[in-house]
Amino acid sequence: MNRIAAGVAIVFLLALPWLTDNQFLLHLAIIVLMWTLMGLSWNLLGGYAGQVSFGHAAFFGVGAYTTMILYLKVGLAPWYGIPLGGVVAALFSLPIGYLCFRLRGPYFALSTLAVAEITRLVALNWETLTAGPVGLLITTLPDVSFLGRPVDWESKEPFFYIIALLAVSGMLATHYMMRGRLGAYLVAIREDEDAAESVGIDTTRAKALTLAASAFFTGLAGGFYGMYFRYVDPDAVFPIAISIETVFIAVVGGLGTVVGPIVGAVFLTTVAETFRERFVVGHLIFYGLFMMLVIRFMPEGIWGRARRLYGRFRKGGSRGAA
Amino acid sequence: MEIAIQSLVSGLLTGSLYAMMAVGLTIIFGVMRIINLAHGDMVMLGMFGAFWAHSLWNVDPFLSGLLWVPLLFLGGMLVYRFLLRPIMPGGELNTLLYTAGLSLLIANVALFLWTGDYRTVNLPYALEPFRPFGISIPVPIAIAFGLAALITAGLYGFLLRTDLGRAIRATSQSPEAAALMGIDVNRISMITFGLGTALAGAAGVLLVPSLYLYPTVGEILIVKSFVIVVLGGLGSVPGAIAGGLLLGLVESFGAVYVSVAYKDTIGFIIFLLVLLFRPQGLFGVGRA
Repeated sequence: MNRIAAGVAIVFLLALPWLTDNQFLLHLAIIVLMWTLMGLSWNLLGGYAGQVSFGHAAFFGVGAYTTMILYLKVGLAPWYGIPLGGVVAALFSLPIGYLCFRLRGPYFALSTLAVAEITRLVALNWETLTAGPVGLLITTLPDVSFLGRPVDWESKEPFFYIIALLAVSGMLATHYMMRGRLGAYLVAIREDEDAAESVGIDTTRAKALTLAASAFFTGLAGGFYGMYFRYVDPDAVFPIAISIETVFIAVVGGLGTVVGPIVGAVFLTTVAETFRERFVVGHLIFYGLFMMLVIRFMPEGIWGRARRLYGRFRKGGSRGAA
Repeated sequence: MEIAIQSLVSGLLTGSLYAMMAVGLTIIFGVMRIINLAHGDMVMLGMFGAFWAHSLWNVDPFLSGLLWVPLLFLGGMLVYRFLLRPIMPGGELNTLLYTAGLSLLIANVALFLWTGDYRTVNLPYALEPFRPFGISIPVPIAIAFGLAALITAGLYGFLLRTDLGRAIRATSQSPEAAALMGIDVNRISMITFGLGTALAGAAGVLLVPSLYLYPTVGEILIVKSFVIVVLGGLGSVPGAIAGGLLLGLVESFGAVYVSVAYKDTIGFIIFLLVLLFRPQGLFGVGRA
């Protein structure tokens, strides 16, 4: 049943560029998928393991800059650069985890915020590598052909398929990782870290591994951002707002579920982008508002609530039939 | 030598404003265990209040504090009563996420209303600096320092000497014991939240002559406030005052002797080191 639903969703996703020529709609779908990937990766650590990070912008930015720098300085095409951006972000997460995982709860969150701000300031000032506040600009993407046809980088379709591929791989990775032993460890850590440790779980290793996976997928999203917008600067890819938006997507959608971040991204990004079309500034009003409403009225998130209602409905239905 | 003295003085001047802002955050944490991520946005509201009072009504920005600070006190109490109290049972992480939402909401409503432009307030008495012993101190900053010192000292006296202040300190030490002694913890929490917000607003009013103002300025300010509060030990008022002065000094000496570009980085690095190795704060003072 779930497998069929997932299959239908994927087919619909692949067919989307054929269903519409509306460029704004395609752009919206691209942004939604990018944020889905971000929310999914944050959710690995924040939702399953209960480690709330306010610093995921660091991994996003590192991924974005890695991809851009490899392309501009080494000539490595983004389709190699994006995965490498993920790898560099994952490596970058190791020392951060080593430091920040000594702290718990809100202190962990604040320490990740500080690390992300340090990273932003370094990116802003290390001008030989990052060009500082000027940013890095790509004018053209390399020529490539797919199935015998040259890819048209001026249209949005190729970007749509690339981010769809990345987001679906993120979903599958989350699904399989969390179904296994690691998933069980993380839930144990979330519920009671001391108890998890006392039954022999190497909590530090489990958390570090999850942070690395989370950083990897966030780095992919960052690399994609660089390639799609063809421009990065420290204020675009390292701001606190990126970390916060990522958290909100996962929380509003529903923590600790595969579908939650998708729902959160579709919902919040669509509302925000539509508002941005009309008013230019202040498009995060709804992020703040929905975050507050969700924590107040449905702490399990939109998807969590929907699933519970559906469960109650099914139970009620079968009782009626019996 | 002269440069060193100048750095020392300007560090202390800025530090006094940081201290005031951080005291607001730390008393809220002390009493309610709320890490209020919207604190920086309260500072921002104070800054914009002073700015609009100056540009619309031609009122001196410092004088306008007489209006904004009580308003923010009231606003803070309402925010606590109607927004925060219902979600408090959810725990510290819940309130952290909730105040993150509140922060984003306030900053973006401000962006929507006032756009993201950078603004400054030009005061007629800002032109000629005050020059005691060859050091240069801009007059508005000297006034801000005087007022900040006065308000912080007043608050400290209030916490130490009055019944209400004692009740706040008692709740901060142990809400259960305070409740058993007949203190209405809910009322104390509401007042403390109002006080903390008012301090943030007052810091904002006083910061107007020395900072650019724009709706998302709260981001930097909240991060600075955390650095200070953690330096001084979460919940400690004397710690926050010492931490604020220390951060002001670190920034001003860092800008002169290390690099202007990395002056904020130094603060964060100290912050991480303190969190990791001395989570009770640098000065080892107990909670006030």
